[in-house]
Amino acid sequence: MTAISAESLVKHFAADIKAVDGIDLAIPEGQIFGFLGPNGSGKTTTVRMLTTLLRPTGGRAEVAGLDVERQAHEVRRQIGVALQDAGLDELQTGRELLHLQGHLYALSAGDIKPRARHLLGIVDLEESADRKIKTYSGGMRRRLDLAAALMHRPKIVFLDEPTTGLDPISREAIWRYVRELNRDEGATFFLTTQYLEEADRLADDLAIMNFGKIVAQGTPKQLKDSIGADVITVHIEGDAAETARAAAVARELDGVEDVRIVDDTVTVYVRDGRRAIARVVLLLDQANLGVAEVSLAHPTLDDVFLRKTGNHLEPDAAVTGTDGSEAGGREASA
Amino acid sequence: MQVLRSAYFLMLRGLRESARQPAVELTNIFIPMFFFAVTVGAIGNIAAGAFGVDNFVGFQMPVAILQAVAGTAGMAGIATTVDIERGYFDKLLLTPAPRLSLVLGRLAADSVRAMLLTGLVLIAGSFAGAGMEAGPFGFVAILVLAGLFGLVYSAIGMAIALRTGSPQAAQAGFLIFFPLLFLSPAFAPKEVFAGWLEFLATINPVTYVLQGMRHLILEGWSWRALAEATGSILGLGVLTLSLALAALRYRTS
Repeated sequence: MTAISAESLVKHFAADIKAVDGIDLAIPEGQIFGFLGPNGSGKTTTVRMLTTLLRPTGGRAEVAGLDVERQAHEVRRQIGVALQDAGLDELQTGRELLHLQGHLYALSAGDIKPRARHLLGIVDLEESADRKIKTYSGGMRRRLDLAAALMHRPKIVFLDEPTTGLDPISREAIWRYVRELNRDEGATFFLTTQYLEEADRLADDLAIMNFGKIVAQGTPKQLKDSIGADVITVHIEGDAAETARAAAVARELDGVEDVRIVDDTVTVYVRDGRRAIARVVLLLDQANLGVAEVSLAHPTLDDVFLRKTGNHLEPDAAVTGTDGSEAGGREASA
Repeated sequence: MQVLRSAYFLMLRGLRESARQPAVELTNIFIPMFFFAVTVGAIGNIAAGAFGVDNFVGFQMPVAILQAVAGTAGMAGIATTVDIERGYFDKLLLTPAPRLSLVLGRLAADSVRAMLLTGLVLIAGSFAGAGMEAGPFGFVAILVLAGLFGLVYSAIGMAIALRTGSPQAAQAGFLIFFPLLFLSPAFAPKEVFAGWLEFLATINPVTYVLQGMRHLILEGWSWRALAEATGSILGLGVLTLSLALAALRYRTS
């Protein structure tokens, strides 16, 4: 059964600001769905429409089989939401916040206390539950926000960039909770992120968003497989001429789709890299080229984003071509 | 009933906030008490001769009460802007709690605070010799009037907060009280006013709230004075609550 669906969903803030520009979604129950994209791509606007905080300009969406516009009140009963900024009341304690959340969802008084205690245990906040939230770290606030989103046992949970700005340990902790809650409580998770690793490790299925449109959709493996090649990186001993000669040698190998040089490194895009890597080293050796270092990598979601949009997803990953111009890819052509 | 239930728990939250920021409430009680003491000290001795008020402490006590109420009634607006800025207001909007309860909960907290501060002023006034001609139930009636006035007055700050999301603008809602207070018989009976000021005082709802409280303190029970006070508060309430609900619709549309 479909947990979340959208047809031609549109949100325009002005005639020329198309935050979401006609997206379609069909997310089955029980899935962790990743919604990946750079800042400003329309992820949060999509979440705000699906969670009834924003009215769509066009199209329609259903959450738990309910129309987000016409049945907004019923939708709110079915969903839990942790927004991008963990907006919490700093003067309350963690426990008080969860209790209030329970009351606002009309849970019974007998249910609220044990449920809050259970969730505080899950997110490792039992010991600090009676401290004011203003004393919490960023990671603790995110975990408490997650617990608040789950207080009423929602069928569907929206997490809008739940780990942005967190340190790696806190990030890992959030991932673990999401996996456990998905497994133990059977909730469907709609998770927006700008982190490739997060989408890759958590999502059963994902959509990649750019400029308000979905540019790719599938499982992380399907998306990466769509690149059709593995990446072998070879560092050659010697000068630039030797590196260029190595690139020419590699290009002769069967199954090679592309060869690029970045600085003094040759990058070979090749089908079935596990089998090809030995042949690459052998050919280079036969050509009397010294191999200082060789590595094999699978394509990343950034490669998928690059292939679809011509840009890297993470701005820090952008590279410059050998002529100083922006390459529009990870490497410049050899 | 879900509206009242949600409003009740949101009211408790608002009161917890106050209990955790006692300095704010100390300011709200200190300033009115200071003006109360200074005004009585400055004018008290000439009040009887100047405008025929023998018990000027009792005459001034409702002014101190309304100043304290107006001070604390600004909290709902300011607290709401803090919720908006921090994103917690969105969290509340995401719950199935009726939207109306988000407003009523805050206003009810202001109303309870208004009654608590009024109680303090009444105690201080009693020690200062204000008296209460209406007897013990006069205290209760004044507490109720103060609570109702606090509720409807705080809706002004709430309306500004929901419309603008700005703490500074919400705080300015408190300033509206000063013209209302000075255009009322706060410091002298209306009968000694110039004609234009007497007219403005006559159409000012604060006048009737003051007079209702004064009647209980200085003369005893007067159903007419109480009805005028209650009617003024309800009339003001229709206006301010309509503004607050319109602002809520604006913010959630």
